[in-house]
Amino acid sequence: MLSIGIDIGSLTTKTVVLNNGRFLASVVSETLDEAEISAQVAMTKALERIDADEDPLRFVVTTGAGAKGVSFSDRSKAITTCLARGIAYCVPEARAVIDIGAESSTVVKTNERGKVLDWANHDKCAAGTGIFLQQMAKLMKLSFEEMSELSETASKGADITGTCAVFAESEVISHVHRVPPTPMPEIILGIYLSVSSRIKTMCKRIGANEKIALSGGVALHKGLVRTLEKEIGQPLFVPDDPVCVAALGAAVLAGEEIQKETAQ
Amino acid sequence: MKKAANNKIQSIVRACRIILAMIEADSNTRQSQKMYYRMLLQYYTRLRDARENGQFIAAHTVFFPAEILLAMDIIPMHTETTTWMTSLFTGECGEILAAGARLGMATEICAPHRGMAGAFASGALPRPDVMVWSNMVCDNTAKSGELVMDICGCPGFFIDRPFKDSGLEKTYMAGEIRDMIAFLEDKSGKKMDYDRLSTIVERMDRQIELTRQVNELRKNVPTPFSPLGFLELLTIDYLFPGQPESIEYLETLKAELEEMVKQKKGAIPKERFRLMTLFIPPMYLMSFLEKLSVESGAVSVIEPFFTFWGEGRLDASRPVEAVVEKAYMIPETRMYGPLGESALEAIKKCAREWKVDGAVYYADVGCRHSCATIKLFKDALAEVDVPVLTIDCDVVDQTVTSEEEVRDKMERFFELLEDR
Repeated sequence: MLSIGIDIGSLTTKTVVLNNGRFLASVVSETLDEAEISAQVAMTKALERIDADEDPLRFVVTTGAGAKGVSFSDRSKAITTCLARGIAYCVPEARAVIDIGAESSTVVKTNERGKVLDWANHDKCAAGTGIFLQQMAKLMKLSFEEMSELSETASKGADITGTCAVFAESEVISHVHRVPPTPMPEIILGIYLSVSSRIKTMCKRIGANEKIALSGGVALHKGLVRTLEKEIGQPLFVPDDPVCVAALGAAVLAGEEIQKETAQ
Repeated sequence: MKKAANNKIQSIVRACRIILAMIEADSNTRQSQKMYYRMLLQYYTRLRDARENGQFIAAHTVFFPAEILLAMDIIPMHTETTTWMTSLFTGECGEILAAGARLGMATEICAPHRGMAGAFASGALPRPDVMVWSNMVCDNTAKSGELVMDICGCPGFFIDRPFKDSGLEKTYMAGEIRDMIAFLEDKSGKKMDYDRLSTIVERMDRQIELTRQVNELRKNVPTPFSPLGFLELLTIDYLFPGQPESIEYLETLKAELEEMVKQKKGAIPKERFRLMTLFIPPMYLMSFLEKLSVESGAVSVIEPFFTFWGEGRLDASRPVEAVVEKAYMIPETRMYGPLGESALEAIKKCAREWKVDGAVYYADVGCRHSCATIKLFKDALAEVDVPVLTIDCDVVDQTVTSEEEVRDKMERFFELLEDR
């Protein structure tokens, strides 16, 4: 039986298909207005990528926004549980995962079996999330790649608040327009530092202090990863497909559910 | 009878009446729960009618020894409880919080205190004849009492409770209480009835004993007491210290729980998670939390800072000293005052003895005392392998946390517990 995990994010929906623990396919597609349609489209795309002779039976676990409302879902699971299982699958040595998504950031502390020991998340403000970084990139008319490259030449970074996205934006504008303007690399590093300090606090709060992995779209943002590693004081594990970690975990959980049902 | 249009006491009375009518007709409702609502109705009806009946009203803050007022036949008005009762029964505290904001009270200040000040300023609560308050056990009250005096233009008295509890501090506090009695006698024209105080203290001692016995019964698996029933115990203690109704309520509750234990019946159909509750859940989410508890099989079995009384007995032959003694036995004192190793030991003991699976910390954002303890408690409970969920919220201010947010966090936590 196929185990399918679907993670419905605010910008993208991720799907992973496993068969008896064996990876078959993953797909990232745009999140549409309805969670149901987003999940259906993503799953169809993922199933198109696998061999036609694979088992037609499937068990679907959904997670993320609106996951409970997906009619063809067999179970919905918390994003924290999915992240823990997903990271244990792709980075077995990890004991914590930082997930920076579009609209929230979460740190999950796990054990060797991929079980959640504790978590901390921030969902009150866009500061420390992908949307915040996207907004900053737009403000400075730069791509993520350009931001990453420029940040390498920065020395200490401009002071930018880590507590409020709106204030942070005002600060960036004031850095850009002051006379003389704060050099762009310093502003970018300042932005990275503001995100990193927020993440570091969450790690401290739950005692996630070693073997930390990074997931979510922001894990592809090299400049931020570099800054976060410096702030946390250790290298971070970045899986090959950081965007799909929660969906992968959902697929692992689907596999567990299949095993439970078979055992009964 | 002329009453202010915005009188919240009348709203509470009306809500109690409606709830009571509903549960009286329901054969599945515990007798003790019916008694509890009758008591609330009695408390707020008495308060509503006090002025008209020519009675003397003393507004008092949380943990203030209301035994003194009751022994002097003064009508007590528990200000914080009345504020959150407004939230619980009317589902809306916005009006009084807005009135608090108009006084210049920042949103970072404890909402029951913001609400209390707003309620007096807007006439939602009746003007008291005196304000009596203390720093037992929350320092917010030390300033709140003064503010209420200013707003209402009434005299007041502040009882200073030293943090430490050696013999010397207790003697000092007994002096404070005697001075307050003199103040109340002067302002109300009523004399302290020490025999009556002794009787109240004797009953308070019994009340504490009964609460301990109820808690012992809650150790059973499945636990016989309802998921958030502890709020009844808390309210009884706040509003009816040493009153005959409290004894009757607790004895009835105890008998009901004993019967359930005998029948091996749990409070909810399928108990899955035994929780420890740290601090007070948002009042406006109570119905939702009750429903979620039943759906998820989660039940609060112990509350180290609300129902788990400190050791000791009250000596009715020395009633003033007994009131002081009680002030140091109140469960909440472990959390406030100088937070010591004993508080951490108490929560670990509770976790072990009540077979707790997880703890939920309702971190009231306006309460600096409690929020400062989150990490300490979390670390202490980690030693006995009990995970802690922290929910940033407010007891009455609905703008801090939404139902959806709480549901999401709770469900994540239950999944964590299930997955262990």
